[in-house]
Amino acid sequence: MTPDEPAAARGGQAEVVQLPTAARATDIALDELELVYAFIYARVGNRADAEDLTQQVALKAIPRLRQGAPASAIRGYLFATARSVLGGFWSTRLGLSEAELREDLALAVPTSPPSEEGVETVQKLLAQLSDNYRRVLELRFLHGYSLKEVAAEMHSTVGAIKVMQLRALRAAAKLRVPE
Amino acid sequence: MNGKPENRVEKIVADLLRGRRLKMRGGDAEEKEAITTAARLAGTRQGPQRMRPEFRKRLARELEAAPDAGWITRRAALVAGLGLAAGAAGGGFLSRALEPNAAARPVAPIEPLSARWVDVGGIDEFSEGEGRRVTAGGVGAFVFRRGDAVSAVSSICSHLPCELSWKSGDGHLLCSCHPARFTAEGKAIGSYGLTALNPVHARVTAAGRVEVLGTE
Repeated sequence: MTPDEPAAARGGQAEVVQLPTAARATDIALDELELVYAFIYARVGNRADAEDLTQQVALKAIPRLRQGAPASAIRGYLFATARSVLGGFWSTRLGLSEAELREDLALAVPTSPPSEEGVETVQKLLAQLSDNYRRVLELRFLHGYSLKEVAAEMHSTVGAIKVMQLRALRAAAKLRVPE
Repeated sequence: MNGKPENRVEKIVADLLRGRRLKMRGGDAEEKEAITTAARLAGTRQGPQRMRPEFRKRLARELEAAPDAGWITRRAALVAGLGLAAGAAGGGFLSRALEPNAAARPVAPIEPLSARWVDVGGIDEFSEGEGRRVTAGGVGAFVFRRGDAVSAVSSICSHLPCELSWKSGDGHLLCSCHPARFTAEGKAIGSYGLTALNPVHARVTAAGRVEVLGTE
């Protein structure tokens, strides 16, 4: 036996959280899942994967919470589940361990609806890059330029921009958002 | 064409910017970091995203169809961050009654939205009675072979949202987060009284391929 085991496993009685009932349980859960969806989308960058992962979170977490649980309680559980599901996603797709995804998975539970904060964070991150690296990522990701358009804008070739894009992404991956 | 890292990463970036799924290819640690960074940049370029109305409706149907488990252990609540609820000891939120006999509750199989059968290997690749972890899109499962048939259970613990692992010598699934164990059939072992693991649909085709019902 270890100290971490629930009371029931040690021969005692497990405490049970009985959460109150509310008529709008599904609506509350869906509003919380909107936060989860935004959280996941901001990390996987596409709708199809974000929907799959959000559905996994809902399937896993919702049946285990009594209908009508307070939003704050649901949120904590949903985000714990979302972090685990995201960890599994990156582990499966890229072979990345949770240790390598510490920043991605250890973010605080949001306390408000999605805002433009994520965009500002990215802009702060890009601001730390050299001019060329920042420019290529801004044009590609924030303005949606094609490689050819970026090359024309930066008076370069598609091949050179492709290499610069990879180097810029590698450099951005090593940066931390300034406080 | 795709042999160079800049070409592989560009293919992924182009897919992301067209709204396509992440399809990974090989690469070193720096390339993987570049890909996760690209995904984050693509994810924030249009600002915070909301669910599509049709996806929200599908989720609503799924939630309303979910069985009302109606309980969560205090430890699970604490670990999952339900500090406010669990911290209200002595208040109306916490009951000190015994945990219900969760192990006896019927557990619904996983029925994914946009479900499709995913090939996870030939039947010969599965050893008799040994759990093998597979992924079918968004569904993770342990598949067990019994003769020419297979069965499968979710690879996620029913107590905490953690990945299980198969302990061949002991013949059970072990949770990586706490000492919870499950049989190959998904039943909890020991005195925890945990809910069983969700079954996952699995089958063997006439061609001897094992398929699991997962997502696209």
